[in-house]
Amino acid sequence: MSKKYKLKRLLVRRYQILAAILFILAAGLVLLPKYKKNEGIAPDLLMKKMISSERYISTDLLADRLVNQDPSVLLIDTRTEKEFQNYALPNAINIPLKKLLDEDVNGYINQDIYDVIFYSNDNFYADQAWIIGSRLGYTNLYVLEGGLNKWFHTIINPELPDETMPEEAFELYSFRKAAGMYFGVGTSEQKTINKPIKKTITVKKKKKRVAEGGC
Amino acid sequence: MKKKKQQNRHVYWNPYFGGFLLGLLIILTFYLTGRGLGASGALKSGVVTIVDTVAPTHAENNAYYSKFIKEGESPMNNWLVFEAIGVLFGAFLSGAFTGRIKLRVQHSPKITSKRRLIFALIGGILFGVGAQIARGCTSGAALSGMAVLATGGFITMLAIFGTGYLVAYFFRKNWI
Amino acid sequence: MGPLIPNGIISSDWNYIIAILIGFAFGYILEASGFSSSRKLAGVFYGYDFAVLKVFFTSAVVAVIGLYYMDYLNWIDISQLYVHPTYVWAAIIGGMIMGVGFLAGGFCPGTSLCAVAIGKIDGMVFTLGLMIGIFIFSEFFNSLEPLFERSNLGHITLVDSLNISPYWIIFIFTIIALVAFYFSDWVRSKVKKVFY
Repeated sequence: MSKKYKLKRLLVRRYQILAAILFILAAGLVLLPKYKKNEGIAPDLLMKKMISSERYISTDLLADRLVNQDPSVLLIDTRTEKEFQNYALPNAINIPLKKLLDEDVNGYINQDIYDVIFYSNDNFYADQAWIIGSRLGYTNLYVLEGGLNKWFHTIINPELPDETMPEEAFELYSFRKAAGMYFGVGTSEQKTINKPIKKTITVKKKKKRVAEGGC
Repeated sequence: MKKKKQQNRHVYWNPYFGGFLLGLLIILTFYLTGRGLGASGALKSGVVTIVDTVAPTHAENNAYYSKFIKEGESPMNNWLVFEAIGVLFGAFLSGAFTGRIKLRVQHSPKITSKRRLIFALIGGILFGVGAQIARGCTSGAALSGMAVLATGGFITMLAIFGTGYLVAYFFRKNWI
Repeated sequence: MGPLIPNGIISSDWNYIIAILIGFAFGYILEASGFSSSRKLAGVFYGYDFAVLKVFFTSAVVAVIGLYYMDYLNWIDISQLYVHPTYVWAAIIGGMIMGVGFLAGGFCPGTSLCAVAIGKIDGMVFTLGLMIGIFIFSEFFNSLEPLFERSNLGHITLVDSLNISPYWIIFIFTIIALVAFYFSDWVRSKVKKVFY
């Protein structure tokens, strides 16, 4: 009996109770302790991207794209300025690793028009640059596999295949040889010609907005 | 007649219950798709499709239609169109359960059906123009906008209801 | 972490199926709340029925509180959600035209679709009017474009415009809604009942 009575009293006051619940929930949002959220992508996602081999681009593929003057390639040299002056791939832009987070270079890596390809003497600096960029949620980042060392061994100064090797190896060799000619063997004048295709990069912050919505 | 309708009053859900479910649905929609609900977008796709079929060159030359025409893809192939189809089915089912499905014109006893229909047409035209200018209607701009605290959503909502109260007096005969 | 489809957790092949299901629930809720009846909708402007205000505010408050709790718990990333762009003058003028249209026609696009589904002829005429309205807008787009594109503030929220924490905005918004509910019941008790 008393239970029924209680329920009845609750029902009479149901709107007050619901209003109170809403009020408490809203107040809860204000009162909850705030914490700073990580920007960029979640660690597990980064891990997934990191262990995928898709983030590497081989020297042969890069040579091919450069020879064909693929406009979507944006080469970024992550070595120091001095090394960059010494030798660099054609049209590369020098962003030393420690300057990667500078405001004025942000536009080069935080975009989705070009395929950004990091390179250094080997993989190390380029890999680190890739991880920092990817962690911030930037897309289209790649690493030149093996870096400039491999570039020299494969493109500039390719190894002559053994005679016992299959025909493909010879085809690859001739491709590399031709590509090496294109880039000029051991050139140093290469970097003075510098940027025949002027890259105009619109420094536009990507919005993470989804689709066009609304009515 | 009046008595019968009076009894009918409570067949609708409690508005707070309906609002609560609608709120949950908005959350679910944002959680799944990252966007809100909408309604007038589907009609826009319909208009674009009709114009594109009847006068394709005209549609391509018009700055507004051409925004929504893509090569090899029908403008009807759109999230909001599918949602609108769902709305029709859902409303039909709800009406069927409660016996509200009937071909009729609903109007105040003080006015004729013809007057009601003329005003419905005028209201529809105005709403259509307004919804395009504001880039969304009550559901797309105001409701979904308010759910993510979009400034535009609040402005649109205030403009719709504020104007509604301002002009309510002139339309009173139609409703009371 | 949500939103699920843009983040590729659910394949986008499901997009349209989900659209139909969500639309289905949307239509069902609107119809069951009485939004297929233009006289019920118009009641909010004459004080005899506040269903529109109650449903509208309840859903907005529930949705915004829910979304921000989910954001707090890291279930959804608020910054990835689509925010309706703010074009101040377009929103005001468009909203005013819609306000007049609402009073004249008694529906808005979503509710008119519900009315069509249950056989209301006035709803069908209203929907036809909507399409004519969209057609007129498109035909005169060139002259309306300055208004349409004017004062674009981008995808901003009240957090950006007022520069206060979203949680306070939600709290204030909730209180406004609760006061509005109370006020609407008070008004309704003063106004002559209208049966429809």
